[in-house]
Amino acid sequence: MAEPTTASAPLKEVQIEALVVMRIIKHSTSAFPTPATGCLLGMDVADNVGTQIQVTNCFPFPAAAPDQPPSQQEQQYYQQPTDAATLAAGAPRAKSNVAYQSEMVKYLREVNVDAQSVGWYISTSMGNFVNQNFIENQFFYQKVTDEKTVALVFDVGRSSAGSLSLKAYRLSPSFMASYREGKFNTEAIQKSNLRYQDILVELPLQIHNSHLLTSFLHQLPQPPPTKNALDFPSSIVDLTHDPNISSNPLAPNLDHLDLSIDPFMEKTCDLLLDSIEAHQTEQNNAQYYQRSLAREQTKIQAWQAKRKQENQLRGQQKQPLLDENEWTKLFKLPQEPSRLESMLVGRQVEQYARQVDGFSAVVSGKMFGVRGTMLPGDIA
Amino acid sequence: MGTSQNNYLHLARPLAPAAVSTTAPSTAPLSVSLLPQALFSILDHASRRPADQERVIGTLLGTRSEDGTEVHITNCYAVPHTETAEQVEVDMDYQKAMLSLHLRSTPKEVLVGWYATSGELNTFSALIQNFYGQQGEGTFPHPAVHLTVSTAPGRDVDARTYISAPIGVTAERAADSCLFIPVPHEIRYGDAEKSGLEMIAIAKEREDRSLLLQTDVETLERAIEQVLEMLERVSNYVSNVLDEEAEPSSALGQFLMNTLSLAPKVDAESVERDFNNHIQDVLLVSYLANTIRTQIDLSNRLATAALTMGHAEGAPPTDAQQQDNKQQSDRGGRGGRGGRGGGRSRGGGDRDYQRENPLGL
Repeated sequence: MAEPTTASAPLKEVQIEALVVMRIIKHSTSAFPTPATGCLLGMDVADNVGTQIQVTNCFPFPAAAPDQPPSQQEQQYYQQPTDAATLAAGAPRAKSNVAYQSEMVKYLREVNVDAQSVGWYISTSMGNFVNQNFIENQFFYQKVTDEKTVALVFDVGRSSAGSLSLKAYRLSPSFMASYREGKFNTEAIQKSNLRYQDILVELPLQIHNSHLLTSFLHQLPQPPPTKNALDFPSSIVDLTHDPNISSNPLAPNLDHLDLSIDPFMEKTCDLLLDSIEAHQTEQNNAQYYQRSLAREQTKIQAWQAKRKQENQLRGQQKQPLLDENEWTKLFKLPQEPSRLESMLVGRQVEQYARQVDGFSAVVSGKMFGVRGTMLPGDIA
Repeated sequence: MGTSQNNYLHLARPLAPAAVSTTAPSTAPLSVSLLPQALFSILDHASRRPADQERVIGTLLGTRSEDGTEVHITNCYAVPHTETAEQVEVDMDYQKAMLSLHLRSTPKEVLVGWYATSGELNTFSALIQNFYGQQGEGTFPHPAVHLTVSTAPGRDVDARTYISAPIGVTAERAADSCLFIPVPHEIRYGDAEKSGLEMIAIAKEREDRSLLLQTDVETLERAIEQVLEMLERVSNYVSNVLDEEAEPSSALGQFLMNTLSLAPKVDAESVERDFNNHIQDVLLVSYLANTIRTQIDLSNRLATAALTMGHAEGAPPTDAQQQDNKQQSDRGGRGGRGGRGGGRSRGGGDRDYQRENPLGL
């Protein structure tokens, strides 16, 4: 029913079914603390404003076995840990899982589930998701032309403490172009003028219920009492154990009126320090490169000077001149490390900073409220 | 005229013959708990069924407790089947293949039963039930759980769970006869699911049944509004009682007194002091995070802009300078945390040492 979308119709928003939300929550909480990844199925609907992705179903990926050795370039600078977390985070693009996904989609199509893959989801804790794996996964999905895919990030820690934290991201087109070339050294970045803020684009997300589900939800609380007013309880025990006052799954969630500051602050500080260390490592790498480059260049210049001298001597002695450009074969210039990681670190720190800002807004409100309650005369 | 006689039919949980288990197998009926997402999935499947089918079926996956008396349904998937007046066909291969796919991603969830989206139980149900409970591929030696969710339009969605006991009239009809025993079920959910359910519950109130995900501040606002509403109702009731317009209830009054006495009684100074400390902590971390963000942004820009100055040698001094600034902000950050945490600087000393080395290179 959706008209074919042209490449120019931009993705405007993402609509997600209640079923998918619950499935993602369940998978993420059961896989905690390793990241949980899975595939999203749905369709895209185009209207004159832009395209809307509708996510109607999802399924989890099994954690992949390591099937490809890390490339030479990466081994020079990073150690590839093959622990469960990295395997799970790399699952969406692992070869074994591509087969798994196509099989699942084939079977699901038989029972009328939408067979189009519209992205993938990953669970994280405290916003700690901007890393190489995430970018590669999303690139793996977005590199097909004219695709409509999105990455959903579900934050387990913050959802348990407060409101549902689910966000949709895509890689920005400028970043895609740079990533395709694969070079992130200084000249490439200067040319493209890419900043870390441009890496990810966030899309607004809405939850949608089907009719059947809505009628079920309306009927889920106990049927309204037949009498107009409830009888008064005869004792406190009656009050607490009255079946009419049972706990309703859809009751307002007052958990996030809880005032707990320290755990969040500590975790955020820990994560910030980790990011700073990563940034330091990157800086050291860049400095090391520059120092070795400078050393090589001085060596080359010295060699060139020597060659010139020799050639002068030979010129005087009427001997064949030696090649002055042989230095390209003798000296190997070091390769500049990719700046991608430092950009990712910058983006991650920005994510933390945003979270902290949101948190401090909420917490200041709560704290002023508590203070007003405890010191009633002091309403400033 | 005669006194009514109550005939009892004792329904015990059917035990598999020759069950070998160390604990004495109990005959108590199962209790089933299910996750909301399984239920939502079934409803979604019901709304997607092919137009000519009245009901659709699928498989339930979940976990069992040690002795088998509790079954927790966590996941489900649909199985295509065709049903006519005379016979029923279930796609076995599909069921096996999907089961193995699911086991690959979540090995802890095993087959526990099946579901159907209409409330009636007929011979076909019995047939399918016996298939699911059989040896080898079914849930043997545990009984298979059957969940029916009636999705007739216009009526309530009604979910019931059953297990079956074999009941036979003749040997040849044993395959498609069974006695369905209803067992109690409940919906269980965890903390994170509660916030998801809350969002979904708000969406149900609106016209188009959809809702933009809200930020933390908006959720907080809504929660506070709800609490205020509840407080208002209670205070209305209390003032009515005082004006003798409403009936007093000693139990309610006691309950309210108990609840209100939970508010802590602290003196104003300590409250002020704690409040100021906490606010300072929060603002400090927020300020630091933003400072770090700005710093990294600056260092990235400087690193790429350095080359416009012409030569590579221009870059190392700038980088070293940034490193100095970075170190100072590190120590500032750690100092702030250490000051609050006291003796919790286990990694602090080592990190300091590592930081010194690069400068010496």
